[in-house]
Amino acid sequence: MSALRGEARVALAICRKDALAELRGRHATVSTLFFAAVVLLLFGFALGPDSARLAAAAPGLLWLAVVFAGILAMGRLHLLETDDGALEQLALYPVARRAIYAGKALAGFVAMLLLALLVLGAVGVLFAVDVASAWAPLLATTVLGALGVAAVGTFYAGVTVRLRAREVMLPLLMLPVLAPLLLGAVKATSVALAGDPFGELGAWLQLMLAFDVVMTVAGAATYGFLLED
Amino acid sequence: MAHHLRPQTSMPQTTIYVSPRSLGAPDSRPPAVVTTDLARLFAGSPALAGVSLQIQAGLTVALLGPNGAGKTTLLRLLATAIRPSYGRAEVDGLDVDREAHLVRSRVAYLSHATGLYDDLTARENLQFAAAMLATPDAAERVERALADVGLTDRAADRVRDFSAGMRRRLALGRILLGNASLVLLDEPYAALDADGLGLVDQLLAAWREVGVTVLVASHAADRLHALVDGGVVLDRGLVAGVEGRGVTSVPPNLPAERRPSPTRVAS
Repeated sequence: MSALRGEARVALAICRKDALAELRGRHATVSTLFFAAVVLLLFGFALGPDSARLAAAAPGLLWLAVVFAGILAMGRLHLLETDDGALEQLALYPVARRAIYAGKALAGFVAMLLLALLVLGAVGVLFAVDVASAWAPLLATTVLGALGVAAVGTFYAGVTVRLRAREVMLPLLMLPVLAPLLLGAVKATSVALAGDPFGELGAWLQLMLAFDVVMTVAGAATYGFLLED
Repeated sequence: MAHHLRPQTSMPQTTIYVSPRSLGAPDSRPPAVVTTDLARLFAGSPALAGVSLQIQAGLTVALLGPNGAGKTTLLRLLATAIRPSYGRAEVDGLDVDREAHLVRSRVAYLSHATGLYDDLTARENLQFAAAMLATPDAAERVERALADVGLTDRAADRVRDFSAGMRRRLALGRILLGNASLVLLDEPYAALDADGLGLVDQLLAAWREVGVTVLVASHAADRLHALVDGGVVLDRGLVAGVEGRGVTSVPPNLPAERRPSPTRVAS
């Protein structure tokens, strides 16, 4: 139990460190939000001015923007570990590897949740979608979606952080893995906005939850290998 | 429970913390470092070609040799930053490869890179390190470490704005937060001004006084002479000579393909 408490303390310290560094440097915030806004606007222009069409496409646009911008955010959050040998120093601390993963994933989850909530609000305004009436299922979808992107993103950002071509490799690795989560999130959002007429929301949320659990456990179990020589 | 010792030397401001676990009674301590035919290859070239060393606990030992001799590689192997290609190494009787997680709680390593976060302040960097090291009385220890390395006045400044020498000082301060029984220093004098050079001398003397084993790689052999108990000279990945009581080496027994040649030695 005390070992678990120790790992939780380590994870929180890493999350706090990442949050502090981001608040100071704003390496991820500005670029990520700008990118999400551009994705939404470009997709909106491509679909044309038909408001019914835009509203029907809103769940897909929402999650494409979140996933695309999320990939950028996860990469940027890991990039601060490249400061003057910081990643090696992190690996040399006498702490459990899964606690390091948990800390980085927790920081990623907080960032992704804030991003997804902001994009959700923007979709509501830009595409005239009533997100307030279905706030509870949308919040559940957003939390599960943010957790999934953070769990996968933390692992693959760890894989690519030492690579020169990391900006290219990270989306190439993450997007195929995120496909089931993207499908679940889009369907859950569509069903929630439609008032869940056929009672299928639970199944889509369960799919997302299962994805999150599998990816988080797999990431925690294997992240340590990424820190090894 | 950890306690701290003030060395009876002329550097009253430096406090080295040690724990009974990390040091133990002098006569009961195993050798701090034992390596057996330790080798590390990079892209097929041996940076370390087969080093067999034994260093008694509590000694301060200089690691000397020209560029590319294998000093940094040896320190990185002992710090568990890289894994051996052949042979084995033990710290306090623990295998650095198979028991790396236990070795890490006993070793403090100052590498060429400082491992600091640019967007955090000096204090925040040490607070983070203290959290990772589970340092007791962390707040007090962080302030003392900042004072010991002369950075109290800059504690609230971002590390991004620090000079190379100040970053080096702060990295040294991080070492003071742990209870390491083995301190590995790679070119600790690099980028430091006269005060900084004196600070490293003080720390070396203080660690020596309280019985922490120190392995220091440096080109400043003259400066280290009065501060160390012995020395190891490396050349082309092999031990070229040892000096001092408690520091021993045996010639490696290498197969032909692992013997270094001038063209195969990694730079």
